[in-house]
Amino acid sequence: MATLTYLEAIRQGIWEEMERDPTVFCIGEDIGMYGGAFKVTDGFIDRFGSERVIDTPIAESAIVGAAFGAALTGMRPVAEFQFMDFIGCAFNQITNMVAKAHYRWGAPAPIVIRGPSGGNVHGGPFHSQNPEMYFVHAPGLKVVCPATAYDAKGLIKASIRDNNPVIFFEHKYLYRRIKEDIPADDYVVPLGQARVARSGRDLSIITYAAMVHVALEAAEQLSREGIELEVLDLRTLSPLDRDAISDTVRRTNKVLILHEDVRTGGIAGEVAAIINEEAFDSLDGPIVRLTALDTPVPFSPPQEEFFLPQVSDVVREARKLVSY
Amino acid sequence: MGMAKKTKSKASRPRATEKASRNGHQSARTPAQQRTYTIPDYRLEKLSIELRQVRDGDTVRYEVSGDLSAPAPPIRDSKYLNKQQCIEIYRWMLLNRKMEAALENLYKQGKVVGGVYFGLGQEACSCASAYALKPDEWLGPMIRNQGSLLVRGFSPRDIMMQYMAKAGSPTKGRDASSHFGDIQERNVVAPISTLGDLIPVLAGVALGARMQGKNIAVMTYIGDGGQSTGVTYEGLNFAAVQNLGLVLFVENNLWGYSTPADMQFRVEDLAERAIAYGIPGVIVDGTDACQVYDAAHEACERARRGEGPTLIEAKMMRMKGHAIHDAAEYVPKPLFEYWKKRDPIARFENYLVNVKKWLAREEHEKLIAGIDAQLEADRDFAVASPMPEPETAVGGAYCEPGCHEIKPKYGVPNVKTGKRGISHRAESAVHLK
Repeated sequence: MATLTYLEAIRQGIWEEMERDPTVFCIGEDIGMYGGAFKVTDGFIDRFGSERVIDTPIAESAIVGAAFGAALTGMRPVAEFQFMDFIGCAFNQITNMVAKAHYRWGAPAPIVIRGPSGGNVHGGPFHSQNPEMYFVHAPGLKVVCPATAYDAKGLIKASIRDNNPVIFFEHKYLYRRIKEDIPADDYVVPLGQARVARSGRDLSIITYAAMVHVALEAAEQLSREGIELEVLDLRTLSPLDRDAISDTVRRTNKVLILHEDVRTGGIAGEVAAIINEEAFDSLDGPIVRLTALDTPVPFSPPQEEFFLPQVSDVVREARKLVSY
Repeated sequence: MGMAKKTKSKASRPRATEKASRNGHQSARTPAQQRTYTIPDYRLEKLSIELRQVRDGDTVRYEVSGDLSAPAPPIRDSKYLNKQQCIEIYRWMLLNRKMEAALENLYKQGKVVGGVYFGLGQEACSCASAYALKPDEWLGPMIRNQGSLLVRGFSPRDIMMQYMAKAGSPTKGRDASSHFGDIQERNVVAPISTLGDLIPVLAGVALGARMQGKNIAVMTYIGDGGQSTGVTYEGLNFAAVQNLGLVLFVENNLWGYSTPADMQFRVEDLAERAIAYGIPGVIVDGTDACQVYDAAHEACERARRGEGPTLIEAKMMRMKGHAIHDAAEYVPKPLFEYWKKRDPIARFENYLVNVKKWLAREEHEKLIAGIDAQLEADRDFAVASPMPEPETAVGGAYCEPGCHEIKPKYGVPNVKTGKRGISHRAESAVHLK
C-alpha cells in the first residue's frame, strides 16, 4: 500500500497493464523521452523501450488512426492526448472510423484514448475543456471520468482490458491535489458502475470528476446544519449506471445534478431525462442542474471562478431544493 | 627616423562599389546548391493537358487543351509476372468490370438501395495492385477498388448483397457498397465515407505487425481528390517517419466528383509529393496492368524488407460519373475519347491474345463464359437472399464479453523490459498547476 496522487495512480495502472500484457503499448506526443507533458508516462520508455512507448508527430488524426490499425492486429494501444482539448483534431477518426467499427463490420477497437481535461487551473479556452459529451453522444464509445486516485487506477486498468474504445478523461486539477492509499495489487474498477461517495437521506448530488470533491465539501458544510447530502459519483458517463441513478433518487427524493461541463448538452440533461423515465414517482421536487456557463472557458481567474460551479453554489442550491 | 609608410591592403577597406561586385562575383562562383530528386516514370507516354473553365454562350463548361491525338501505347512487359499470373490478373479485371455491369443492371431493375459506384477504367489499378499482396498482409480499399476486394477473396455476391442491403451481406445490412472488411482471413480494413482516413489506419496495421515481429506490406488507395485532406498528410507522414511498410496508390483519375485534378493541387504529378514525405515516389500508367503490378510488387518488397512506405501515382481516368446518378457531362468529350482508347481491359486482352499469344481464342471464350456463369449464380443468390429483420438494427454497437477474443495476429510481441522501477516524480511539468 502506498499513498499516491491521482496522477501516480494512473501511472501505476498503465505500468501494471504494460507489465502483464505485451500487447499494451503507449503512443502520443512527448510521452517517451519527456515522459509526457504531465509526466504520467515518466520512466516508461526506460522500462518498456521505444517500441512500446512511441513519440509521434503532432498529428492527432494519425495517432488515433494508427492506434485503431494496431488494434486490428490484436494490440491494445493507449493513446495520449496532451490535452483533451485537442481531441477535436481527431474527431472524425474517433467518431466515424473507430466508434462505428464494431457495429458496421464486426471489428472491435480495444483502444484507450486518455488525457487531461477540465479547468480551474487558469488554462483558458484550449487547456481547460470538458469535451466528454461529444463522445458520450457517439454510440460505440465508452467514456470514463474518475474522481479519486483509487478509481483512476482501477478504471484505467479496466479500460485497457475492455475490448471497446474508451475515452478516459483525467481531471488535471486532481492530478496532484488528491492523494489516497492505493493497493499495489492488480485490482480493477468496472466500467459502467457509479459509486456512492457519501450516503445521505435529504438530497442526492449526482456528479463526476473534480466536482465530486466540491460536492463532498458542500456536504460537510450542510451536515453541520443537519442536512445530509448523498453524493453519487458517476465514474463512467457512457454507459451510464441507470440503476444507481434511480436508486439514489428513491433514497432521497430530491436531485441536484452537478457538473463542470457547460450547461447545454452536458450530462445533466441526460441524467434528468433518465430520472424522468425511471424514477419520476420518487421525485419530491424538480431536478436542479448546477453547471458551468454556456461559454468557452474564460482565462482570467475571476472570470473562471464565476464560470465554474463553486461550493457556495452547491450549498445554496441544495438548501433551496431541500426546503422545496 | 622616418615614419614607416603604412600600406593599406585593398581587402581591409574596400570601397562600396568594389564590395558589391566582389560579393556578387563570389555568389556567381558558388551558386546555391540545387537538390535533385528522381521520380521514376514508367509510362510510355505522357499526357500534357490543361483543363479550364470557359464561358460558352449561356453556360460555363470545361475546355481541354493539349495534344490528345496519340494512339494508345503498348503494354510494358512486366519484370515479374509469368503467363499464368497475367491471365489471372486479366480474369480479375474482367470479373471486376462485369460485376459492375451486373450491379448497374440490378440498379436499373430497382433492386439496389442507394447508388452504385464504379471503377470503370480503373480495373488494372485495383486488381494488379492487390495481386501483389500476400494473404497475411492487409488492404484498405476505396470506393472504386471493388476489384481489389475480389482479389482478396470476397465474391461478387458479397458486393451485390451490400448494394442490395441484404441480411447476408458482409455487414449484415448495416453499411453499403464497399464499406466492409474482414479482420480474420482476408485482412481487409473497411473504409468509411470520408477520404484519407484509411491511411493512418493501414499505417497502424503495419505498426501492430511490426511490434509482433513481422514487417508486412499494407496497401491502400487515395484519389486525386481525396489526397487533399489533412488526414492524408498526417497518415502518410506518420508512416514515413515511423518507417512503416505502407504502399499508397494515389489513383489520379483526373476527377474528384465534378472537380478536375487541376483544381485540387498545383504540382504536375502527385508522385512529387513523395519528396515532401521523404519516401520514394513512382509514376505508372494506371491502365497498364503490368506497370501497376511491377510498381506494387517492388513497393511491397521494400515494405517487407523494413524499408518503409512508397507512394505510387497511377494515372488514368474515371470513365463514368462519380456514381450512377452522375452522367459526368462536365467531362470534355475529347478527353473521354482519349482515355476510351486506353481501356485497361482492351489493352490487356490485346496483349495476352495478340501480342504474347498467351491466351488462345477458345481459352479466352472459356474464361469469359466462366465469369459470366459465376456472376449469374452470384446474382441469383444475392437477389433471392432475404432483407434483414427490422430488429437486427439493434445490438453490436459494443463488443460484449465473449463476443470477440482479441489476440495478436502475428505472434505475441517479444518485449524486452528494462530494469527501471516505477517513477515517483511528482512535480508539475507544465505551466498549469
